[in-house]
Amino acid sequence: VDHQVGKFTQLRPLQADDAAITLRWRLGRAATLLNRGAQSLEEQETWIRARPASELNFIIETSANTPVGMLSLIDVDHVHRRGEAARFLLGEETAVRGLPIAVEAMKLLYFLAFDQLGLRRVYGTVAEDNHRMLKWQRYLGMQVEGRLRKHVLLNGHFQDLIAVGILEPEFREIALPRMNGLIALAGMPPGKPRE
Amino acid sequence: VKLIPPERVEAIIFAALNNVNDELPEDQRIVVTDATVLFGVDAEIDSLALVSIVVDVESALDREFGLDIALADEDAMDRPVPPFANVQTLKEYILERAEQP
Repeated sequence: VDHQVGKFTQLRPLQADDAAITLRWRLGRAATLLNRGAQSLEEQETWIRARPASELNFIIETSANTPVGMLSLIDVDHVHRRGEAARFLLGEETAVRGLPIAVEAMKLLYFLAFDQLGLRRVYGTVAEDNHRMLKWQRYLGMQVEGRLRKHVLLNGHFQDLIAVGILEPEFREIALPRMNGLIALAGMPPGKPRE
Repeated sequence: VKLIPPERVEAIIFAALNNVNDELPEDQRIVVTDATVLFGVDAEIDSLALVSIVVDVESALDREFGLDIALADEDAMDRPVPPFANVQTLKEYILERAEQP
């Protein structure tokens, strides 16, 4: 389960050596709607080294091995067969333009969860101001399951957290066809027939 | 068969792009024209933004015209020109799909 490889992207384990780049992403604009993380390189390295066995933390790389973001499956519970998709962040915004990196990274995470780990459910939370992420998760099969009112202080104000989740059959029936569609569309050369 | 004004389809796509722009810092905003590249080489948006556009356009087409189409389905993949190459190709694709019985 260490490495997940797709056509446009791959997931590889987060390592202490990734502290500098992940800290930069966490302190960047794209992370303003995520929970506050480490504020120094030392803190970030300590945080990475302290990840428990119930978490699978990944660096998202392009097919050319360029790190562009991070994604995790945390609180993996083999009794209840569930896990939380978390810490989804694309830090290198210009490097992922025009590519289905985010879609394929999430597809790889779902394959890991449902096919390799045998989970039945993946869930998560999205801050209410994170409209684009919420729209994205819903389009890709996540169902809104609830709302934690004024649960987090983000971006200078208290926000609700929207609880979302997807079951294994919903992944097959809803998410996977849409993910494959978006990945295939990105692979079509402009103005030319698809091979 | 639905008869939909092409200019209205373009306005719907522009509105979806402007929604993406609303969440971008000023120096990263997309220039919205009918030649704006939506996906693939030279695109200025990532796949999160593309999904936002797909969702907004599909919702608006359903709301305004009762047109229920999936923009990123197999039909889209079978076209010689990718529907998401730019705003113009997406507009043409939507109009073509609207004319299908």
